[in-house]
Amino acid sequence: MVDTDTQTEPFSNRVIALDTLPTFEGGALEAISPRYRVINVSLSVAITLILVAIFTLIRWQPLVDVPSPLLLSYPYACMVVAVLGGLGALYHVFADVKIKYALREQDLCLQKGLIFRQLACQPILRVQHVETKRGPLTRLAGLASLQVFSAGGEYHTFEIPGLPVARAEQLRQFILNHKDVSAK
Amino acid sequence: MSISPSSGDRSAQVPHQDSHLEPNDEGNQKPSDIKIDTGDSWQRLATIAIFYFTVRNIKNMAQGLIYAVPALAISFNQASSSFNTYLYAGGAGLVILMAVSGLISFFMYRFRVHNQHVEIHSGVFSRKYTNLPFWRIQNVKIESPFYYRPFGYTLVVLDTAGSASEEANIVAVPKQYAQELRRQVLEQYKSADTTAFADTEDEALCEEHLESTNDEVVLNRRSVGDIVIHGITNNRVWIILGAAAPFYDDVFAFISDWLADKGLQLNQLVGEQTVLWWQMGLYAFVMLMILMSLVALLSVGGALLTFYGYTLSRHQDRYIRRSGLLNKQEVSMRASRIQMISAKQDWLDKVLKRVNLYFEQNTSAGKQVQELMSPNRMIVPSVTEDEALLLSREVMPGSNLKRSDYIPINKRFMLHWTALIAVLPFIVVCSLAAWVNDPMLALIAGGVACLSIALVTLRWWRWGMAYDGQYLYVRRGRIGVDYLCFEPYKLQQVVKKQSWFMRRRKLASVKFVLASGSVTVPFLPEAYVNSLVNKVLFDVESTRKSWM
Repeated sequence: MVDTDTQTEPFSNRVIALDTLPTFEGGALEAISPRYRVINVSLSVAITLILVAIFTLIRWQPLVDVPSPLLLSYPYACMVVAVLGGLGALYHVFADVKIKYALREQDLCLQKGLIFRQLACQPILRVQHVETKRGPLTRLAGLASLQVFSAGGEYHTFEIPGLPVARAEQLRQFILNHKDVSAK
Repeated sequence: MSISPSSGDRSAQVPHQDSHLEPNDEGNQKPSDIKIDTGDSWQRLATIAIFYFTVRNIKNMAQGLIYAVPALAISFNQASSSFNTYLYAGGAGLVILMAVSGLISFFMYRFRVHNQHVEIHSGVFSRKYTNLPFWRIQNVKIESPFYYRPFGYTLVVLDTAGSASEEANIVAVPKQYAQELRRQVLEQYKSADTTAFADTEDEALCEEHLESTNDEVVLNRRSVGDIVIHGITNNRVWIILGAAAPFYDDVFAFISDWLADKGLQLNQLVGEQTVLWWQMGLYAFVMLMILMSLVALLSVGGALLTFYGYTLSRHQDRYIRRSGLLNKQEVSMRASRIQMISAKQDWLDKVLKRVNLYFEQNTSAGKQVQELMSPNRMIVPSVTEDEALLLSREVMPGSNLKRSDYIPINKRFMLHWTALIAVLPFIVVCSLAAWVNDPMLALIAGGVACLSIALVTLRWWRWGMAYDGQYLYVRRGRIGVDYLCFEPYKLQQVVKKQSWFMRRRKLASVKFVLASGSVTVPFLPEAYVNSLVNKVLFDVESTRKSWM
């Protein structure tokens, strides 16, 4: 039941240094691109500003009479949006630098989380397919996220966000060329 | 498409003399004389399929008309008798229309099995062409509705790994043909697997040699008594409720009439102010008892409908489950596809010492509904505790669900959840109660908080995991208990989780992602989790065995 060449070949699963991809060397978790944090923080700030702008527009426009309870709630609404947006931005400032990943011979690891730190490990043997995903903003920043799908279902898609495009492609190709994936 | 004139009834080519055979006898037959490949020509179904299509159309229409039922019922009651005759005529006309549409559906349906492909043309207004290669078929389900049984016909449901809309039904074929088709499809899987995954080849070949001479072995049968117990302990009401949806109004009218007969008049009760509280309480109690026994009765009926004549058997490398009263179903699952065994015991099961055993396969995307008959999850209903252990050992040799070395989760689990779901809401509600000056509210909040603390404590007490070098075991539950068992090499992903507080206390949660879903065990010692994750990853990556 065990493949004959896995029996003769000693098992190894060292960390692969990413800058020298084909040669294996000891290394630790690698951080994702710092631009990912910039995108997220500016997105939070932008959404907050847009919402406040919309509120202000409704508050001061001369066309329709706004009911007085709404007028009174204007400063509170702005405050709530600002606080939520600020918290969101603050979260990204501290959380996004915590997202780190590692590629090993046999698996991919991803560590993330500010208060709840989680470390996920995805054996490459179980990968069903790989995608790189790029939204409009990430495209602008030259980033991509790598999505790795296994039979664990869509809730357990392994995703490394905020990778430079070249790195994402490199990782994707590595997984595709991996003997366990290409064998199928 | 080429519809040749020679396309005749399948029954003409394959005589259906098998109707007298017991379902379990199929392993003894030499099926080689049945030709599966129908050649280039397109086949029409057996005539009995007209009946199937008619029934299906009526069912579909009834489902569509559920919302019209109250309106119809009202007009039926209020209209004059002459109008009622129109209504009857209309009803009869509808049934005839359905029968005609059944006939048309029958004529528009053609299929062929050719070159390892199942091809089906179906549909009246929107024509549909399905082409399903054998190797994409995940499961073959054989159903025999009660009106098929005297004639020995079956309905074959071909299940793909993809979405539910991709499944194909061959509506009426002789039973032997269906069984042979299933055999070939599963055979195809085996050969596909052996070429695709070199590591499973030896295993598959070995099994072939060992077991090709052996016949099907029945592992478990459920008697009517067992199924009644299952109906009582597990709420299977919805099986009946779903089927009876069009008749709700009548049923409610009947029940209120019946209650009135028994001297219980709801309108009077509500109207009279003078009823003593204990009388009111007694009435409520009686009502509750009547309702409960009714529900239990319905549930037993539902269980009998699905599980009547239950057998679980093993044939070569697959498990076959047969059951059903009106609609006899046959589901088969390859042993290697089983990701996890779960033995579930609710509180009533605990009292009666019964266990529901599930063999869980992969849950394919898009099929979130865990239906009972789903081939993704094979259930052995209400077995005794000993039988559950035996069956779990049959599927996973050497496993022991009821072991004594479960590592309990840390007490901080209780602390964490008590603070989160009991203390915090309690404080909030109490301060609210102080604000509005309502001591009753605080009292209720206190009661709810106590209850949730008790449940959290039970959850902590049950939760634990064990690893015996071959299998991983998880025990969990609140009032009931679930025992899960799975092989580490089938894991898809492993996740270790830690909050800031857990990190300080050197604790961690671990999540195992399997193709059948994920299993989480919280608040374990961090060192244990680390070594476990490493061991498990080594198991997956070094054995490189297929999870399917």
